[in-house]
Formats: sequence, structure tokens, C-alpha cells
Amino acid sequence: MTGSATTTDALLLEGITKRFGPVTALDDVSLAIRQGEIHALVGENGAGKSTLMAVASGALVPEEGTVRFFGEALTGHPGETREKGLAIVRQEPSLMPDLTVAENIHVGLPARLRPGVGELSAFVRERLAFWREDHGIDPGARIESLLPEKRFIVEIVKAIASEPRLLILDEPTEHLSGRDVTRLFEVVRELAAKGCAVVYISHRIREVREIAERISVLRSGRQVGTRDAHHLDEDDIIALIVGRRVERPFPPKAGPGETGERIFELHGVSGPGFRDIVMRVDRGEIVGLAGIDGHGQRELMRALAGQKPVEGRINVAGRLVKIASPRDARRAGIRFVPGDRHREGLLPGLSVRENFSVRSIEKDTKGGVISMGAEKRRAREALGRLDVKMAGIEAPITSLSGGNAQKVILTSVMAGDPEVLLLDEPTQGVDVGARAEIYSVMRQAAREGMSQIVVSSDRGELVGLCDRVYVFSRGQIVAELSGDRVNDDAIAQAMMTATNTRAAAAEWGGRLARLGSSDWAPFLMLAAAILILGAVAGSVNPYFLTERSLTNLMAMTATLAMVAYGQHLLMLTGGIDLSVGPLMGLCAVTGSFFLSGDPWLVPSLGWASILVVAAMVGAVNFVLAGPLKLHPMVATLATYMAVQAVSLLLRPVPAGMTDFDILDILGHRFGPVPASFAVAVVAGILLDLALMRSGAGIRWRAFGSNGEAARVAGIRPMAMQAAAYIGCSVLTALAAIMMIEQVAIGDPRAGMGYTLTSIAAVVIGGTALRGGRGLFVGSLLGALFISLINSAATFLQLDPAWQNYLLGGLIILAVAFYSYSRSKAVSA
Amino acid sequence: MTTDTINGKPRRLPGLKFGSMSEFGWVWIALVLVFAASAVLAPGTVRPGALLSMLPFAAMLAIVSAGQTVIIQQRGLDMSSGAIMTVSGLVVARVALETGSLPLALLATFAAAAAMGLVNGIAVSVFRITPIVATLATGAVYAGVARHVSNGNSISAPAALAEFVHLKIAGLPAILILSALVVALMAAVIRFTPLGRRFTAVGASPAAATAAGFPSMPYLVGTYAVGALYFALGGILFTGFINSATITAGNDYLLPSIAAVVVGGTPFTGGKGSVVASAVAAVFMTQLGQMVLAMGAGTPVQYLVQAAVIVLALAAPRLAKLARG
Repeated sequence: MTGSATTTDALLLEGITKRFGPVTALDDVSLAIRQGEIHALVGENGAGKSTLMAVASGALVPEEGTVRFFGEALTGHPGETREKGLAIVRQEPSLMPDLTVAENIHVGLPARLRPGVGELSAFVRERLAFWREDHGIDPGARIESLLPEKRFIVEIVKAIASEPRLLILDEPTEHLSGRDVTRLFEVVRELAAKGCAVVYISHRIREVREIAERISVLRSGRQVGTRDAHHLDEDDIIALIVGRRVERPFPPKAGPGETGERIFELHGVSGPGFRDIVMRVDRGEIVGLAGIDGHGQRELMRALAGQKPVEGRINVAGRLVKIASPRDARRAGIRFVPGDRHREGLLPGLSVRENFSVRSIEKDTKGGVISMGAEKRRAREALGRLDVKMAGIEAPITSLSGGNAQKVILTSVMAGDPEVLLLDEPTQGVDVGARAEIYSVMRQAAREGMSQIVVSSDRGELVGLCDRVYVFSRGQIVAELSGDRVNDDAIAQAMMTATNTRAAAAEWGGRLARLGSSDWAPFLMLAAAILILGAVAGSVNPYFLTERSLTNLMAMTATLAMVAYGQHLLMLTGGIDLSVGPLMGLCAVTGSFFLSGDPWLVPSLGWASILVVAAMVGAVNFVLAGPLKLHPMVATLATYMAVQAVSLLLRPVPAGMTDFDILDILGHRFGPVPASFAVAVVAGILLDLALMRSGAGIRWRAFGSNGEAARVAGIRPMAMQAAAYIGCSVLTALAAIMMIEQVAIGDPRAGMGYTLTSIAAVVIGGTALRGGRGLFVGSLLGALFISLINSAATFLQLDPAWQNYLLGGLIILAVAFYSYSRSKAVSA
Repeated sequence: MTTDTINGKPRRLPGLKFGSMSEFGWVWIALVLVFAASAVLAPGTVRPGALLSMLPFAAMLAIVSAGQTVIIQQRGLDMSSGAIMTVSGLVVARVALETGSLPLALLATFAAAAAMGLVNGIAVSVFRITPIVATLATGAVYAGVARHVSNGNSISAPAALAEFVHLKIAGLPAILILSALVVALMAAVIRFTPLGRRFTAVGASPAAATAAGFPSMPYLVGTYAVGALYFALGGILFTGFINSATITAGNDYLLPSIAAVVVGGTPFTGGKGSVVASAVAAVFMTQLGQMVLAMGAGTPVQYLVQAAVIVLALAAPRLAKLARG
């Protein structure tokens, strides 16, 4: 196939047109990616790069045009291209935070390459070593405990491990350190040499020129051309991207003597990730903090914004200030434009006006009351100065493109008239046109006296924008550059030649926190609590330890454990089911029509109808929470009411005694151990084995940990949700059958309490509500503990209120402890 | 009107599809529709006498729903609201009984409610427990408190309270006027004060609010406390209305109050919200219940109708979108 003149293109797009409603995202785009070439795709935000790649990967189906993947036309089935050898490295790694590195790679591989669960660890170790011997990544570590750049390495290693024939890299160097960028380029070249086609999407024109052989440019959804990379210089590429030849996008810097008195002074400032910082910023000066990511510059900026602890002398406009919180920073006159616009900048759901005014609303306030007129005038005026493209100031902020949203945030923060403005990556993900505007707004504000500090991983930006630059290495300032010395070479040289060493990082948390974050912590703590409570109850009241009492305890535990398993199954996927309590009652009511020993009715029909009724309720929950996208809490609250109503309609009052023979079977015992308890224990162990040791279990947790990433990895969300909701209801039905042994009558209100106690058992057992992790055995212990509290309270002759106090208090304590410990074990 | 010119092509912006009608406007149409339907199907329920006996219930539900709304705007949920109502009803009756002073009893009740709300807020914001779990747990604790305060018996309401609750001002129930006032107060604070704006920002994005210099914790804790004060007011009025404080008083308000918030259009995703819409939805739900009862159906059917309304209110936009393709 290779070498001949008729080599098939790895990817051939012909006449692609893709519309979203009235918007044409791609207009007759054709593109050919040859096997073995590195092909860069550049263009402004919204030019259609991501849409084009989504079409190429089969995730989107175009209205017109054909996609050929190694000569074969795509049928539009998602996941098809992945199996055929497409790998994508996304700007935001599509990883599951609760899964280990190894499990993530397992889920991310095409089915034919997946190793068995037993060999997974060795497989992953080998792939990581291929990236770099000293990668320092433990295959058994959870993704959430890794630093962002390590996560990105996992994303890249995952893509390479899938032995791609076509590799798409979307802004791959945003998170990587210099060393890993070099390694990435090596690996990409190696892959290309072996015949793999590479599509390289990037904003960084310099990188594109370094790595790519050909460059294709998209502008406003149209192909502007494919050129040979070696025949273009940076200005040519920019000109192709924006469609007009722009001058250097940077406004002129302040001349000598134009900046004023010292506004911001740091003396011996230290914090996590930086130490002994001495620096100053004068009035009207723009100062850059340069350095390889993770060397302290961003950490210092976040600390100055009050987001991280900081100590040392900090002066703002001659006043000594103390910064212990974002509020302190704000009051000291320090304002912050965060780097992660979506998480920390935008207020989604609110209008452009509200997003603009919130940071300086006191300017529109008279006598404690906001004047809407003043607010609108101020917003229109401030946003009008920049060319913000929007449908008006009442348009939702989320309808704006990245560059326009960034302009709104920048304007909003500046409207608070800061003494010192901190900007973290002010133009990340912003197109070239908007960049130039942002630079000129910053320079204009500087001329009016605003002092600014900029952190940027784009060295060219610091060089073009800043009056002075401090270079960081290993948490310290290693050089201060000003005037002509603010240039690329000088910064690079200072970064590369620094000889300082990093102070040993403090270990996180204490021993207790580390224990609490381990998967075994809930079991150890619960086991200890169960033994203590049991011993106390047994010593105060000897009847507690009799066979009869313990048998009863086990039977109660079994019922609760089965409902909790259902809840657990669902919570692993991030759902919750409030309707389990009333469903228990409905199952009992349904059974009561069949199980009374009437010769006309067959008990097996009763069991079947209980299961069918439960599955139907589960299906309703699924339809509401899945296809109709209702919040699971509200969806199941609605079914909670509906299910209870149906029970009450069927049996307005308890009736329908269960036949004694049936009760005998349900109440079967092995010695003192009820059969139901044995079933619950075995079920818990089997469910855990399936969850931890099977591919299906890994995918189940993957879906719960990060639904979108799981979808990208070929897991079907609707199928998972359907299985989760119906599974939850069916397990609840099994619990209801166990409960029938205890209540023996069709009581529509039986089981209502199980909504609260099932959730309690799961969370006490250590399962996080947001999904992705938690063992069923934990829920079993949680169920045992709750049943124990209830019976111990009786045996200890406590006021019934104490059952409530113990149950509620322990839920709070347990969850608070787990979540505290885990937050300590999570890396930013 | 909703177009923007980008690249020379008209482009519709999302979120403004229904012209100038906001997402909180639909509940008013629903309210008109339910009264129209009542007039046809159960004319008895729209006679002045019937309306005057329906409105106090709607007013109490509106107060509780307003409290729940602000909590939901903070991406929260208060499952302990029923227990807080119950405890409040019991405390006001018990303290009034023992001290003979209604003002003292009211003070004690609001203090107790604020404390319960603070505990909720601290559990959610400081300990970072998922709201539904945190408040289910504290709800269990508060139910225990209710048992202690009541000793298992109901307590008769202070006479002055019962008298106020049944008072009519200009022919309208005093309880209705009070409800309108407290709901309007809350809406005004949210809309027209810097505090309210920051509250909304924290709900829309706690991380963004923190980066802007407004750490979310005090707003969260404060919101749960304010919510609890509204639940307490609901509990006090209910005690006066039925002339006795019982251990189950608040149970019947938990689900309907959440339903009212949902029907009013406040989303669970935080930030946006409307206490006025929730209050209107409370009237809607109460009248709907009356209509169903008057048509001869029992409580179970009422539950079914409520469930259907919740699902419809939430699924309608989604269904409409599916229908449009």
C-alpha cells in the first residue's frame, strides 16, 4: 500500500457541508490527509476545526459530502472510526477521574486491543515507559490524584496505545512542560515515519511550523487552502487565518519614564509552589511572569488573588495588606481574571449584563438599591468600547463565542477599578482578532494607571505585551528582564539555565486523611463502629446478643442491603432514586393480591408481577431522567408521589395476608442465619467482583465518573442509564420480597422509610454521590450499621428520638470525613 | 430580534426562542388555565367562599416554596424543610404555653429555625456534603428534636396566633397578605440589592464568584438560614391555622413545596430562579388540588395529578424541542 503513487489518503473529506439549524458551520470543505504526513489544521475559534474533526471521526454526520477513511466511506455509526484506527487527543483530556490510569487506558482502547483485566497493569506500565522512563505515573493511581500535565500524558499514551492509523491532536501542548513537548514531537514524527497520518490542531503558529509538513487553514467554515509549511512564515499564516494581513497585534509599550510610582511590592513572599518572592509593579506597568508551567508563577498569581495561602510582606499603594481569602484580595484592590474561563470566569445562565455588572455592582447602587437604568447604561457603554459580538446585553452569556466572552469578563473585572490587575492566560482559546483587541484594552488601561501582572504560557505574548518580565524556575524568581532584554531568547535562556533547586514539597494531609481517602477506610471505620455499638448494647442488655435478636437483625439488614444495592448501582452512574421507598410498598401491595394462598392465584405469578411492576417503575424513571433529561432527584420525586398514589388506589388500607407456607419459605434459616441475609452477602460480593474485575464493571464506573468521556470511548449512555434505573428497581423488588416476610400484608405505606435509609447505607458505606466509585460491601456494612442503630436503640431503651439523632448525625459525620479526606487526596 | 450577524449569515442565538417571554412567565398562564378549568369542571371551587378557604393554604405553601427556591438557586435542596416546619410549630406552641408570651415564643422559634438552617448550610458548604444527603440526615435529626419538644403529644396553638391567622384584612385573609409581603421582600432583595446579585452569582458559579472576590461559603450558609426562617414562618402559621402543633405538621409540605419550585420554572442548575414564580405555582398547585378533590377524586389521585404536573412542567420544553426536530 505504501510507497506507490496511488497511496490511499488516510482521510479524505470531499465537499463537506455541515449546518446547525440556520448556521452553516462548514461550507463545502475538502481536505485530504496523506498517510505518514503531519498535517496542521489552523484557524480562528469558530472557524470549524472542531466540527470538521467531529465529522471526520463520525461523531457528526454532515448534510453534504463524503468522508473516506482509508478509502472506505463512513456509514455514520459512532465508534466505527475508533475501531478502524482513529485516535484523538483532546484539549480537555477525556479521562475518568475516579478510575485508575490503567483502567482509563483499558476503557479508551478499541475492543480488539484491550488486554485482559489481569494483564492490564503490566500492559500500561510498558506503554508509559515508552513515553518516558521517568514518567512518575503509577498505573494504579486514580486520575484525579494526578497533576494536569500528567493527566495529559495519560491521554496521549492512551491514544498511542491504540495503535492509530490516523491520530488527531487538538491543542496538544497547552498542558505540557517543555520536556514533554519535545517528547511529543519525537513520538509524532516516529508515528508518521511508520505511516500514521497525524492531524495537528493548534493556535501556536510557531509549533505548527516546527512540526507540520503541510498546513490547512479554515476561515469561517471554508477551506482557505492547503500549503506547504516550509514556504510560509508566521505572518503569512496569520494572514491566511484572519484573511487580512495584520501588523504585529501588540500595541506599543510604555516608554521609559512613562510608568509611575510603586503600586505593588512583594517582599519575601512564600506559599505552596513558590518562595522568597521579591518583586514590584509600578503604576501603569504590565509585568509578565514567565516560566515553565508548574514552576510557581501561576501559583503565586492565584495566591495573590486569595485562592491559595500566602505569607510575607505585600504592599498595595503603600499599604501593607494581608491576603487570606479572595475577599481580602478584593478589598486590597487586587482583581483577578482567571485562566479557566468556563469554570471561574463565566456565570452561566445569566445575561451578559449580569455577568458584566456583578463585579462592580456597587457603582449602580444608591441607598442600597440597584438602579437598573444605571446598570444597563454602564454595561452598554463599557462593552461598546470593545467589539463584543452579541445579540444585546440581555443575551445569555453562554451564547457568546470564547473571545467575546473573554472580552466581557475582562471588561467586568476592569470595571472594578483595581489597583492591581492579575491576568492568568488572558488570551487562551481566543482567536487572533480578539487577541489584538484584548492587548490594546490592557495597554489602554495601563496608560490610565492600572498596574497589571500577566501569566502566560505563550512566550511570544509576554514578549510582545510586557514592560518587564520576571522569570520563574522551581518556585523562585531567577531573572528580571526589562527594556530590550524582554525578548524570547533572554526569557528562554533564563528558564533553561536556572540552577536553583526546588524546596521539598510538603506532604499533603495527615495520616488520618490518607487513611480516609483509601477505599478501605469506610469498611475499617464501619466495622469498628459496628463492633463497639454491638458490644455496648450487648453489655447493657444481654438479650441483645441472643440468637433471636441477632437473627432478626440479620433479616432487617438483608432487606435494607438489597435496596441499598439498587441505590448503589444507580449512584455509581451519578443517579439517585427517591422512589425506592414507595416502590417497596407497591411491591408488597402487588404481591398481596397473589400470595394469600387463594387457590385461584398462583404465587409464582405474584413474584413475576412484583418484578414486572418494579421494572416498569424503573423504566419510567429511566425515561424521565434519560431521554427527557429531568434531574434524577425531581424525576424520582415525581414517581415517588405517583407510585405511592397507585399503592393507595390499589389498597386504601392494608389488606391481603400472605399465606403462611409462603412466609415459611421466605423465612427459611440456616441455623441462626436467615436465607435472605446469606443472599444479600453473596450478592454484595458478586456485585463487587463484577464491578472491580470485569470489563463491564470498569465501563460501568467509567460512565459514572465522566459520562461524556465514556460516551467518547464508545459507551452508550442511554443503555447504561436504562440498566441503572431498571436494575435499581428490580433490586428494590427483591428487597420488597424479603420485606414481605416481615410485614406479611399488603400495606401501601410499608417501606416508605427505605428511601432515606437506603441512601444513608450507601453513603455511610463510602460511595460518593457524584458516581464512579464505591464498593457494594460498603453498602452492606452501612445497612448492617443502620439496622444495628435501630435495634440497639430499642435494647438500650433510648428515647426514640435517639434513633434519629444517631442516624442523622452519623451520616453527616461519615460523609464529611470521607469528603474531607478525598479532597486532600485530589490534585488540582 | 434574536439574530446576530456573524460572517454575513444570520445566526439565531439560543435561549431566546420564546420572544420576550421569560421561563418564569409560563406559570402565570398555567394559573389562568387552572382557574378556567375549575370554572368549567368544578364551579364550586371558584366561588368566593371556596377561594377564601383555599388561599390560606396556598399562602402557606408559597412561603415554604420561596424558602426552598432560594436554596435551589444555590444548587441545593432542603429535604429537612418539613422537619424544620414541624419543629417550629412545636417550639412556638410550647414556649408560648410555658412562658405565656407570644413574642418570646416567636423569637425562640425563629432563632431555633435559623440555627437549624445554619447547621444545614455548614454541612453543605463547610463539610461539602451533597445537599440532598446532608438535609436528609439533618432532617432525621430535626425529626428527633420534634419528638423531644412534643413528648409525643400535640400542643395547642397560642390563642393570639390562631386569632391572627384567621384574621381578615379588607376581606382578604391576613395570612395571604403576609405571604405576599414576605415573598415580595425576598424577590426585591434578590433583584435590587448588591447582596442579591452576589447571591445569584454564587448560585450560577461558586468558582467564578470566588475568583471575583466573593467566596461562596457565607452566601450558602446564609441562604440555608434564610430558607429555614421561611420554613419556620410556614410552620408557625400552619400551627395557628389548625390550632395545634403536631409532630407530622411539616410532612405534607416537603414534596409540594419542591413541586411548586419546579413548576415555577427555577432550574436545579443554580443561579437563575424566581421566588415569585414559585409562589404563583403554589397557588396553582393548591387550586389544582381543590379542583381534583371537588371532582370526587381522593388524595391518591391528587398525588398522581401533582406528579404529572411536575413531569409536564419539566418535560414540556424538551418534548417541544423533540417535536420540532
